[in-house]
Amino acid sequence: MAELRNYAAPRSLAEALQVLASGPATVLAGGTDLMPQSRSARVRFASTLLNIQGVAELRGVRRRDGAVEIGALTTIATLRDDPAVRNGAPVLWQACDHFASDQIRNAATIGGNICNASPAGDTLVPLLVLDASVVLASGGAAGILERRLPLSEFLTGPGRTARRPDELLVEVHIPVPASGWVDRYVKFGTRPALDISTIALAVGGTLLDGRLENARLALGAVAPTAIRAHDAERVLAEGPLDRARIDRVVDAADATIHPISDVRASDWYRRELVHNLLRRMLTDVCPN
Amino acid sequence: MAPTPREEAFADSLIGRRVPKLDAPDKASGRTRYLHDINVPGQLHAKILRATEVHARIVSIDVEAARRVPGVHAVITAADVPWQRPIGITKDHMPLKADIVRSRRDEIAAVAADTVQAAQEALRLIRVAYEPLPIVTNSAQALGPGAPLLHGEDLRVPGRNGALEVVHKACSDNVSMAYEYGHGDVSQGERESVVVVEDVFWLHYVTHCCMGVSGVIAEFDASGSLLLYSNTQVPFLHKREFAELLGIDPGRIRIIQPPIGGGFGSKLDIYPFEPIAIFLAKITRRPVKLLFTREEEFIASPTRQPVLLKLRSGCDREGRLTFRAVDTIHDNGAYTSWGATTPFVMMQTISSLYRVPHCHYRTRAVYTNNPYAGSFRGYGNLQATFAVEAHMDKLADALGMDALEFRLLNAQDPGESTPQGMHFRSCGFKECLGTAAERSDYAAKRRRNLEHWNDGNPVKRGIGMASMLHVGGGAKMYPSDGCGTIIKLDDFAKVTLITGASEIGQGSETVLALLVCEELGLPIDSVTVVNNDTAITPWDVGVHASRTTFIGGNSAIGAARKAKRKILEIAAPKAGRTPDDLDLRGGHIVLRATGERIQEIGKFLRSLHFSEKAELVMTTYYYEPPSVHLDRNYKGNVSAAYAWATQVAEVEVDTDTGIVRLLKITAAHDVGRVLNRLGIEGQIEGGIVMGQGYALSEDLLVEDGVIRNPNFRDYKLVTAPEIPEMDVSFIETMDGEGPQGAKGVGEAPAICIAAAVANAIYNATGTRIYALPFTPEKVYRALRGSNMPPKWPADAA
Repeated sequence: MAELRNYAAPRSLAEALQVLASGPATVLAGGTDLMPQSRSARVRFASTLLNIQGVAELRGVRRRDGAVEIGALTTIATLRDDPAVRNGAPVLWQACDHFASDQIRNAATIGGNICNASPAGDTLVPLLVLDASVVLASGGAAGILERRLPLSEFLTGPGRTARRPDELLVEVHIPVPASGWVDRYVKFGTRPALDISTIALAVGGTLLDGRLENARLALGAVAPTAIRAHDAERVLAEGPLDRARIDRVVDAADATIHPISDVRASDWYRRELVHNLLRRMLTDVCPN
Repeated sequence: MAPTPREEAFADSLIGRRVPKLDAPDKASGRTRYLHDINVPGQLHAKILRATEVHARIVSIDVEAARRVPGVHAVITAADVPWQRPIGITKDHMPLKADIVRSRRDEIAAVAADTVQAAQEALRLIRVAYEPLPIVTNSAQALGPGAPLLHGEDLRVPGRNGALEVVHKACSDNVSMAYEYGHGDVSQGERESVVVVEDVFWLHYVTHCCMGVSGVIAEFDASGSLLLYSNTQVPFLHKREFAELLGIDPGRIRIIQPPIGGGFGSKLDIYPFEPIAIFLAKITRRPVKLLFTREEEFIASPTRQPVLLKLRSGCDREGRLTFRAVDTIHDNGAYTSWGATTPFVMMQTISSLYRVPHCHYRTRAVYTNNPYAGSFRGYGNLQATFAVEAHMDKLADALGMDALEFRLLNAQDPGESTPQGMHFRSCGFKECLGTAAERSDYAAKRRRNLEHWNDGNPVKRGIGMASMLHVGGGAKMYPSDGCGTIIKLDDFAKVTLITGASEIGQGSETVLALLVCEELGLPIDSVTVVNNDTAITPWDVGVHASRTTFIGGNSAIGAARKAKRKILEIAAPKAGRTPDDLDLRGGHIVLRATGERIQEIGKFLRSLHFSEKAELVMTTYYYEPPSVHLDRNYKGNVSAAYAWATQVAEVEVDTDTGIVRLLKITAAHDVGRVLNRLGIEGQIEGGIVMGQGYALSEDLLVEDGVIRNPNFRDYKLVTAPEIPEMDVSFIETMDGEGPQGAKGVGEAPAICIAAAVANAIYNATGTRIYALPFTPEKVYRALRGSNMPPKWPADAA
């Protein structure tokens, strides 16, 4: 085991930030990624373990000013049971419903899922489609500084994010989609749940006269991070969603991804899944 | 119409009722004390250091730093136990490796310490220097010229008199075990055939995934007698083996079996961790507890036998099978355990599931640097059935014959004796075929699905059938296939049933209690079962070969009937009757003809006990089934009864992703007779799910001798949402030798699923896949024609 010397379990955000400001700390939220990773020595603990579970202000879902704001400590189970999520962001709700198992959903937090920054992280693909951003706080007793980053900029690599060591992810900010918004989500794995995605896909946009306007397309487990497929989105925006356009969207998405081969799937198969499921998804959005 | 007194008296029969398992309340409420929950005063905790090389010479092992860790009582290597002796089916396996490691699971050193943490810290400080040796992880290559030899030298250990003796002879071709069986003349069969098919199949690695990981507690008393708390399925055989291993009298070994968190065949052999814990207990003079981690359980417990199988079959114009020829290469792994003996079961399916006039079977088990295979529910039968049932479909289709008709034409009938010497006194095979086909609407669906092959819809439906034959009345593999029972009745008509038959979660205590209560006319809650201590229970071979209900059941009935006879013989004269006039029902001695109650059994027992005669009712019985050992040509009626089943699988195949969903299993099982309906339903349903995992998702990935997915994240067991709808029918053939007519059924339900699913995928897509498992990427590649079907190696002619 690493040399873990201090354990801190603050009750307020200010206290938590103070701990972060004073030196390297490993943040413990739900612990569902951290514990197995530390046990298999893939993560080494810093000298301080900062357990933020007692920071009540980081829990809960609020609807404010045309946005859904989710506290970083909100569990996946809470999100799945929240009507604001189910109605306002069904694509995220679906991801929560396919997320691991009941036991893990009860412990795992959305902030943890984001900061773990797995290319296959279940909430990341829907959050990207929803154009979510994250709020990072730093400081302490003297005052709290906040900055907001689009999720796509926050995720920088497998297990890597733009979070500075003195920062804590405190909130996820999701703009409520305009009326007429439609979205679809697919998580593909051997099992319907309790599985790590072989690939994940989500698409969203406003459906108007056979066109998907303001379209967003996100993919998981096919690149170092969950990604938006901007080129494919541009093709989507150019005109009606007919068969030829779907083919071009698929080609553009294919050019964006860089899947790897691992114990779960080969890179070739991941590409095939992206082609087939994206085509199926877009046909389903606009059946003509 | 009101029931007659006799009907009323017999209405309390327990046979066929739904009786909850006696151990269920404790298990459901967390009260069961598994091995993991048992701690012995003064115990040390042990950990094992395993190889980091697949095949290498051990140059040096430095344990000095490990020995200095506070709390460490012993660090041992092979050098510390020069008297250790080999384990395994062919005695080719030393518990602690002295000079060569042959697989990544190999045990190099072990630590006993006050805490698990201290033991782990000590492991971390052990330095091992290796000199790598060429590895061979493909069984076909291991057979080829110039392949590295894994056991190329005699294994010598000191004998009783101290001189070295050879315990395992040098193996010059990597073939650890070989089998050859035949009847008739295959070339004549070929000549009589109008259709001949030949294919190569690959059956993969899976492992048992017992929820309770492996473990043991070893403790010597002051006189040097050994007490083991063990998860073994075969306590009496192991008592003897441990005695040989330690050079002590078997009478000085006692095995206590705490409740087992899953066996499925994995606990039929002795593995190195058990002797190692015993060595540490002997050296430290302290009780030593050793428990695997989950990762260790994946790496260092046995697998199902992986098999490369070539099958050639033919039939004549009328659809009668003409011949079957099988050649297999079993990847033995680095050491020989029960996996290498699966041909005993495989050849039964090859020779006798259907009538085959000409048959040839050959297996070579080949040493490699891979993990080694043990016994696993079904014991080779899943592998053999997979190939045989693929060919039943292919031959029928080639002949243009209905696949069900084809099977019915070739299916065995009651009363038949097969060329291999199996005698089917009871046989419900044709009823199984008919029932499963009818209840699933097999023929119509199979036809209809073909119409959708080219309809443009990427999601296809398929239906497939497979059947199985398995021993259902024990299997005479040892000098005795028996089981002993002791029954005592106390003054209040409470029964203690002391049986050699081990409970490993399969429900044996409940079914044995039920059989005893049926004889004695007592309610099920009047029985206490004692079945977990070799110092108390009479001898039994162990839990294997689906034998416990049959063998342990007949033994329990035998003891109960003796008790009943004694009661009735003493009670009869007092009632002015003969013993045959009387019976035991509803807690009373009754008139057999009318059900009229004569005396309460407890009252009778008290009057017997406290009379001048002063007697208790205590009986013993040893049941030995009327089966025989296989002869040198593998022929003989090895079981007292045989179980049959047909299972029909319905699947949905998404051709865009390759994912196969199992929608429904329609199963018909010849079980002889249903004893505990709840228990047998549980056995069948659990077995179906285990077969589903084998077919669709479980895949122990072994690459260059290394297991790549030793965890439940990437080794995918079936979870609740994937479990299909099940329609299970019981065909009750009332076997004449079986307990109340029953046959063994423990292994049967897992056997056909993969074969039925393969046939269903073909019916859905027109693509036949010859290698398991049917995981999405493999199916997708097969549908695109871009996978490599298994090939028979040129070197292995």
